Amino acid sequence: MTIWWLSFIIGSLVAVLLGFVWIAVKLGGLQDGGAKSKGGKKGKSVADLDKAYSDMAEEDVNHLFNKEFREELRNRGRLRFERIIDDNAMFLKQDLDMTMSQINEYMKEQISAKLNTEFANYSKAMSEAQELTIAVLQKTADDLQQQRQALSESMKKGMTAHEANMMKNFETNMAQVVEHYVMQSLGEQFDMRAQLPYIMKQMEDHKKEMLEDMLL
Amino acid sequence: MSTPVVQYVLPARVVSRADMTRLIRELETVDNELEQQKARHQGSSGHYQLPTLSQALSDFLTANKLDVGDDHVRLDLKAQLRKLKDHAPVLHMTFATEVDPESMQSITAWVRRELHPQALVSAGLQPSLVAGVYVRTPNHVHDLSIRSFMKDSRKLIVEALDQLKEPAV
Repeated sequence: MTIWWLSFIIGSLVAVLLGFVWIAVKLGGLQDGGAKSKGGKKGKSVADLDKAYSDMAEEDVNHLFNKEFREELRNRGRLRFERIIDDNAMFLKQDLDMTMSQINEYMKEQISAKLNTEFANYSKAMSEAQELTIAVLQKTADDLQQQRQALSESMKKGMTAHEANMMKNFETNMAQVVEHYVMQSLGEQFDMRAQLPYIMKQMEDHKKEMLEDMLL
Repeated sequence: MSTPVVQYVLPARVVSRADMTRLIRELETVDNELEQQKARHQGSSGHYQLPTLSQALSDFLTANKLDVGDDHVRLDLKAQLRKLKDHAPVLHMTFATEVDPESMQSITAWVRRELHPQALVSAGLQPSLVAGVYVRTPNHVHDLSIRSFMKDSRKLIVEALDQLKEPAV
């Protein structure tokens, strides 16, 4: 776009210059044509006339296109040229702004599309990874739950068996425990004199068996 | 052919076979002393100077009305006591606590009065019996201890526990 606008500006300048050149050529042509039409009728006077006309024309030219007028034309041309340049610069700026905005929009769209694609892929991968992780965690949780249940049942069975065993042992050994307790409690309490009546009574009760054994 | 064992009366102080051994040893000592006196012609007249006797030997001689100054009596007594020591029935009695001599003599007196007049008693100690006595005769044992009594009564505790387990009506 910039090259086109630059070409357009240069072309406009060239056209203005060509316009000036054309005006100058046209004026020159008009001046030459007038001199040729008057040359055949009268010889020397014509030449003089031509010269007079030329002088007059030159004078008129100098009078019409005097320094101020040329300066005025130059200024007007400059202003025109500046205005054209400003206009073109404005157009160029507008085009540049538009181009930049378009480029920005395009870049935004492209980047957004790319980012959206990447985000979609990332999101998809994350979703898959999340699903996979959830599945693994779920499987692990299920396994743990099963193991916990198995362990709980095993412990419950073990505790029940242990409890039953302890109860059985308790019932079996309770008498022994009580007996041991009584023995330990009373063992030091009886001296021989306190035991003697009991011993004599017991021996009296078993006298017959002992007597039979002694007499064998 | 061996002569039958004379049925001597054993004094209460002679309880165990060890006491019998001591008695025999003392009798031998007395016999030696008297033999020495006889050799030195001190007792030629038949009057020996008796050494001091222990209470056990003195009681034994008194209870059996024996004259230790008689040579034949001493000779026969030594032989009889050796036989008695070897053949007298021994009653092994295990107690839960230490037995004082009076209690031991009392038990020995009962044994000789009720079971056998020449029985010897050997005492042992087993604290786990708690109380009572564990008697071992030549062929049998008689557990007369509290431990045995409680062991026999163990079913009472089990029955009491069973009653506790039954729900109260």
